[in-house]
Amino acid sequence: MTMESNDSAASPEPLSRRVFLRTVGAAGAAGAAGAGAFGAAVAASAAAQAPAAPKETAKLAGELEIELDVNGARRTCAVEPRTTLLSALRDRMDPALTGAKLVCDNGNCGACTVLLDGEPVYACMTLAVRARGRKIRTIEGIAKDGKLSELQQAFCEHDASMCGFCTPGFVMSITACLEQKPGASLDEIKRACAGNLCRCGTYPHIFEAALAVARGAQGGPR
Amino acid sequence: MSRFPVLLQDEPKTPPAPGKKWQKVTVAENGQEVEKWIEVDAAATETWPARSEMRLLNHALPRVDGPTKVTGAAQYAHDMRAPGMVYARFLRCPKPAAKILSIDTADALKLPRVVAADSLNVERTSYLGQPIAVVAAETPDAAEDALRALRVEYGELGWVLTHERALADGAPQVFDKKPKEGESPSNRVAERKRGDRDASRAAVEAAPFWTEQIYSLPVQHHACLETHGLMVDFRGGTEAVVHASTQGTFTVHGDAAEALGLPGASVRANVQHMGGGFGSKFGLGVEGQWACELSKRLKRPVHLLLTRADEFLFAGNRSGAVQKLAGGMAADGTLLGLSAEVDKLGGVGSGSYPMQPYVYKVGQSYCAVSRVHTNTDSARAMRAPGHPQASFGIESLIDELAYAAGLDLLEVRKKNLEDTVYHRQLERAAREIGWFEHPHRSRPGSHQAERAVGIGFAVATWGGGGAPTCQVEIRIQRDGSVTTSCGTQDLGTGTRTYMAAIVAEVLGLPIAAVEARIGSSEYGSANPSGGSTTVASLAPAVLDATFQARARLFELLAPALQTQPESLRIGVDGLLDTGSGRRLDWKQACALLPAEGLRTNGQWKEAFQGRGVHGAQAAKVEVDTLTGHVRVLKMVAVQDCGIPLNRLALESQINGGMIQALSYALFEERILEPWLGAALSADFEGYKLAGTLEMPELVPLIDDADTRQVVIGMSEAAIVPGHSAIANAVHNACGVRVRDLPLTSDKVLMALEKLRTQS
Repeated sequence: MTMESNDSAASPEPLSRRVFLRTVGAAGAAGAAGAGAFGAAVAASAAAQAPAAPKETAKLAGELEIELDVNGARRTCAVEPRTTLLSALRDRMDPALTGAKLVCDNGNCGACTVLLDGEPVYACMTLAVRARGRKIRTIEGIAKDGKLSELQQAFCEHDASMCGFCTPGFVMSITACLEQKPGASLDEIKRACAGNLCRCGTYPHIFEAALAVARGAQGGPR
Repeated sequence: MSRFPVLLQDEPKTPPAPGKKWQKVTVAENGQEVEKWIEVDAAATETWPARSEMRLLNHALPRVDGPTKVTGAAQYAHDMRAPGMVYARFLRCPKPAAKILSIDTADALKLPRVVAADSLNVERTSYLGQPIAVVAAETPDAAEDALRALRVEYGELGWVLTHERALADGAPQVFDKKPKEGESPSNRVAERKRGDRDASRAAVEAAPFWTEQIYSLPVQHHACLETHGLMVDFRGGTEAVVHASTQGTFTVHGDAAEALGLPGASVRANVQHMGGGFGSKFGLGVEGQWACELSKRLKRPVHLLLTRADEFLFAGNRSGAVQKLAGGMAADGTLLGLSAEVDKLGGVGSGSYPMQPYVYKVGQSYCAVSRVHTNTDSARAMRAPGHPQASFGIESLIDELAYAAGLDLLEVRKKNLEDTVYHRQLERAAREIGWFEHPHRSRPGSHQAERAVGIGFAVATWGGGGAPTCQVEIRIQRDGSVTTSCGTQDLGTGTRTYMAAIVAEVLGLPIAAVEARIGSSEYGSANPSGGSTTVASLAPAVLDATFQARARLFELLAPALQTQPESLRIGVDGLLDTGSGRRLDWKQACALLPAEGLRTNGQWKEAFQGRGVHGAQAAKVEVDTLTGHVRVLKMVAVQDCGIPLNRLALESQINGGMIQALSYALFEERILEPWLGAALSADFEGYKLAGTLEMPELVPLIDDADTRQVVIGMSEAAIVPGHSAIANAVHNACGVRVRDLPLTSDKVLMALEKLRTQS
């Protein structure tokens, strides 16, 4: 995505402020717990006060270039300390990865679920900078060479999606569940996606799809 | 069958054109059913193949766009990106009503990456959360910064948020309308009346068993996972593409072109996938107007999708209802009288209600419906508008009277339902849920049981007929590829799949050999998807297009095969010349087509579709009498639909209806703080949807005893009865009647406590 600025007034800030902002960015990237919120507050106040030269705008808005390991590929993008992993994937990368959905932006619905080092997380509740150095898997990385995973295939066969907006999140949650416990029970599957919401009402078919894969792993009938 | 659509005109007096007859059809206008008389072909031609001969239809077909959905490749309006795109956001008024004295955008415009900040020029707001300003920025975060930097000066206005406060003496008026002479101003507006009030009241009170109760339902949200909105891709040239999350490709297209100041032919609406609508997504909306306005001015693509809080506050809802019902029953279970006075809570709008006694037959009945305004956003159509509200009232009342008379709950329903389809469906649901082995069928179980189990029933009705709205094209290429296209949209019901299946069925092809293309204003016209009218409008046009394509194929191939078109047949074994016995497979046959292939257009045929569906549901619940917690154990739905085009997708739709009704019964409720004027349920933290852990055993049954050889829409019917059946099951379990949904633990416990103190 092109990043342009509407700011034209050139009024360079004192060096100390820029150095400070870079420091905040680095602190956030290093993973200090409070840095995200603090960085965002600083960025917002700096942004509110300081018009800047176009090339400086990104830094003054608290942006830094980071590299993320997404589905085995190295992707770079500019983020602010407050930018969520979901927004980094959807809004900050080019081409964007829009499979993970923004639904509640509040950790309530699971539509943005991605795997961080194999663990399902809400990408809307994870700061992009905290995902550095970790293996991120998104729905786009589940099928291999155009071949659906067993779970994706089962979702299709059992009609486990209607409008489909929640589907990527469910596929991610259950993928993680079945990787950790291939023969998971219905109860375990329900708990694995208890943090995912569907409005159309696909739950029973999702359970059937997941159970078919789990039974297959146990050598049972699909 | 469905008695509730608004009939706009009587049957025309003029004779129909030669070869035509008059036919009443249902058209969905903003999700509400409206009936009209049109001319249709008098004589039926070839129609659907017999169900026993179907290879694809009437079978379980995995949806053809499943792979794109499970891989994240399906692109929704939310996912559209374009070079230079900006993100727009609305500022909502934080008060239920206010004067907007000024909006200062200067600070917002100084922020990095912010490209626009505009007042919507609203002088007075009339509902909580009404949008008053809009901003656009190059990142979503910067747009949020811009909203925070807007300076707004508000002036005080009076307001009301609840039914009770709206009707209190001296309540502030939502609309400043002069009352009629001799009347004082009121937020209650009378709308419709039917029946004789005094006679009905007398019939109720003369009955051996009678009661009068208030049954109320909360405002329910559509809660579409994809919020309303669109991405307008206009970069200052002569053309634009509008990617919309909508239930009507063509409800967006024309208005968007007008808002962009471009000719309609230069604007394309694109709706490949959309993340749920349920009746709330018709037309351009304030979001579309502003996305177009900003895009036109900035000459940049604009992404304007509502936030979750926006969605809860100004994207519509199912109207709440307060129903005062009095009913009387004879000792044999006959309903002798009913009097219903209903207030709909539709905010600044109206809401929906289909009149009582709904589907039941009552000796003398009266129903009066009013709307009561509050300072909340307008209700919109929501899956079977008004029906779930009416269902909860009448089904609860019938159970209360049946218990008073000591009668079997299943038999009482059959006694008062004239249409015997309901008898068949209720009995099947009863067998499946275990009613005949259930210990208490004419009196409730004991409230002293620690875990009380009960069963409840309810029924539904809907129209589901189509109208001549869809134009479907079929193209067959010389390489054998087949496409069928229409500008219609798929809300998740499986539109592409049944389109491809119909064509493949008739031409003897596998479903994968036919590609269905939809969701573009470049294709043939289509109606918006509302009121379960899509399938009965679209499928007949697809079938007609297929018949025409087959006829054209025979015409084009006959000379090459030195035969007559009438001698040709097509099926799973390819093309057969019955004269010579010669066979060609599909590819060989198509290779004989001219270079440009073949192209036909199909129209809606009245004879291919029907209207009027029923539906019966049963629910089994367990009530924990120590905590008041209600758990649904099992739900059964028996649903008719004419020809089941795709049994798998139908089961999904029926499951969806049951689940949404379960969620409505137990969890969903818009909660507003009546004194501070705050929304307490404008996110999924405060507005609870049923999740995986609340799922009972669900049994979606297609009623194959419905042998009507036509296509009928059924999705609305599936949502109507479930919550009523659950509330009835709670009463059946332990004698607790909660007349105010949702059935939260506190209400159940309070009612149990009342029973304990009485006994």
